Amino acid sequence: MSITDLKLGEKAYIDSISGDSKLMKRLMALGCTEGTEVCLKNCAPFGDPLVINLRGCDFCIRKKDAKNISIKDNL
Amino acid sequence: MKTAALIGNPNVGKTSLFNSLTGSNQYVGNWAGVTVEKKEGFMNEDLKIVDLPGIYAMDTFSSEEKVAKEFLASGEADFIINIVDASNLERNLYLTTQIKEYNTPILLVLNMMDVAAAKGLEIDTELLSRKLGVTVVTISASKGKGLDELKSLLDRGDFLRVPIENDFQFQDEREAYDYISGILSAAVKKKDEHKRTNTEKIDKVALNKFLAYPLFFLILWLIFELTFSWVGQPLAGYLSYLVDDVLVPALGSLLSSSSPWFSSLIIDGIIGGVGSVIVFLPVIMTLFLGISFLEDCGYMARAAFIMDKAMRKMGLSGKAFIPMIVGFGCSVPGIMTARTLESEKDRKLTALLVPLMSCNARLPVYALFASVFFPGRESAVVFSLYLLGILLAFLLGMLFKRTIFKKDEEPFIIELPEYKAPELKNLMNHTWDKGKDFLKKAGTLIFSVSVVVWLLSNFNFGGMTDINNSILASLGGFVSPVFAPLGFASWQNAVSLITGLMAKEVVLGTMGVIYGGSLAAALQSQFTPASAYSFLVFVLLYTPCVSVIATMKKEFGSWLAAFSVTYQLVLAWIVSALVYRIALLVM
Repeated sequence: MSITDLKLGEKAYIDSISGDSKLMKRLMALGCTEGTEVCLKNCAPFGDPLVINLRGCDFCIRKKDAKNISIKDNL
Repeated sequence: MKTAALIGNPNVGKTSLFNSLTGSNQYVGNWAGVTVEKKEGFMNEDLKIVDLPGIYAMDTFSSEEKVAKEFLASGEADFIINIVDASNLERNLYLTTQIKEYNTPILLVLNMMDVAAAKGLEIDTELLSRKLGVTVVTISASKGKGLDELKSLLDRGDFLRVPIENDFQFQDEREAYDYISGILSAAVKKKDEHKRTNTEKIDKVALNKFLAYPLFFLILWLIFELTFSWVGQPLAGYLSYLVDDVLVPALGSLLSSSSPWFSSLIIDGIIGGVGSVIVFLPVIMTLFLGISFLEDCGYMARAAFIMDKAMRKMGLSGKAFIPMIVGFGCSVPGIMTARTLESEKDRKLTALLVPLMSCNARLPVYALFASVFFPGRESAVVFSLYLLGILLAFLLGMLFKRTIFKKDEEPFIIELPEYKAPELKNLMNHTWDKGKDFLKKAGTLIFSVSVVVWLLSNFNFGGMTDINNSILASLGGFVSPVFAPLGFASWQNAVSLITGLMAKEVVLGTMGVIYGGSLAAALQSQFTPASAYSFLVFVLLYTPCVSVIATMKKEFGSWLAAFSVTYQLVLAWIVSALVYRIALLVM
């Protein structure tokens, strides 16, 4: 399951991230590590990009990149 | 003299703090080899502060991080001022753990204490200081609180010596964050439950499915109105009046006894050339002010967010939309704004495409030609030109992306910061600095080009003469066959286009002088509808004015400026020729 499977406003715990190495590095530096709580807050008018909340901050990320953030379970 | 490195995440008020500490004792330049702004300032004669770019970490990949890393590694800094957002300590402290590795004393400044308080957070700074091994100071830069204490602390310079332990050599991000969470769970207490913040309320509208785009375009329209109707243009008009109706006559009488070539050099050459550029400085600055306002209040990130999907088709990200839109007003602030993009490549690519957004200065040329050759259909003609520019930007964007800017896209992760009221003082300073910078750097190039154009148009090898017999005219004649496939080959047209390098409106000015009499009548005898349209396409696409070239050079270096000039000339020629062929078939 990835973040993109959540409904708006739903939270989950991060399982792992994959994909582009630069993206991964940046995500991890922002605190997107295993076990961290993440929330899918919003999405742009055409469904892409998305807004996720990570450790208290909102970030926008493209759907294709968000697909690489896999989550453990819904809260 | 001690040197301090000022470092912190983006959006934490670092610029505001830097301005408070250094006032007007600041110098802005570029870090060597990258399109990253370097700011240095002096708090007093004993303390130099170097403002490092806002970054989240030291080890991912951007030019900004490289710059910060190299600076800290160089040992030039005697200590580090690490500014963090007190209401968001967790992520902010990640950078702190990374800079600890440089074994330089750190002064941790907790900014935005007011926001933290509003969120119901209570921070035990003593505990934080002990656990992290740094000196902790709290401020609210935007409210002016705590700044005096900070300044006296900086003066005294007694910070904790950094213990050289292995506390901060973490295996990976997860370990670092676990460590940070550990400290924060002890040092930070949250009182209130999560309340809906102002930011969330505003975003309900700003990011709403139906309201987002209309709101965005409304805001853009407001900025353009501010620039062209309310402030910028009127100021420009006033400056123009000052130059043409006050300065020039005054100089005229002052110089009446000197030789004609000298007074002509001063009045027609220097004042004329430089004046035509300086006069639109208010326009440039107003546009820039509007954009800075959007940036500082936090809306810019939302704009990038909603435009991202569309911009990706052009090979760019949502952040590039604003520079392009600004380019419709004037390419100069458009290119300056391209600095806000995430990666070097994006900045350069955007800067190359911005001039294709038909700027305001070309409008008079379109308007005149359209009214003469396409009466009744002026709007359609002008609109088609704008569209052509946009279409070509898309095509070239895709082309450049596959060729010269080939490497990986920078990942698109943009923070959506909390909305906040921009500090007017900072805004004004920033805009004024950019304006001053433009005058200084662009000024020399503009000055030289003005003198050269004046020389070429007023002299030939026999001495001073009028434009029809000048070197420029011969140059025009020499160059004009190039325009034969485009339909408008004549030395007069070539000369007008060359002088258009000063500012696009000058094309009309020169034509007026060369053709004399009624310009409209002259045009009718010199052009056909087909060649008129191809001429307009050429004006749309060819090398923009000297101010743009100067800005390109200043922001991105001579190579990119030269490339920009060249590719646009080539593009203009090819497309114009094509358009002429098609027009001949159709009209």
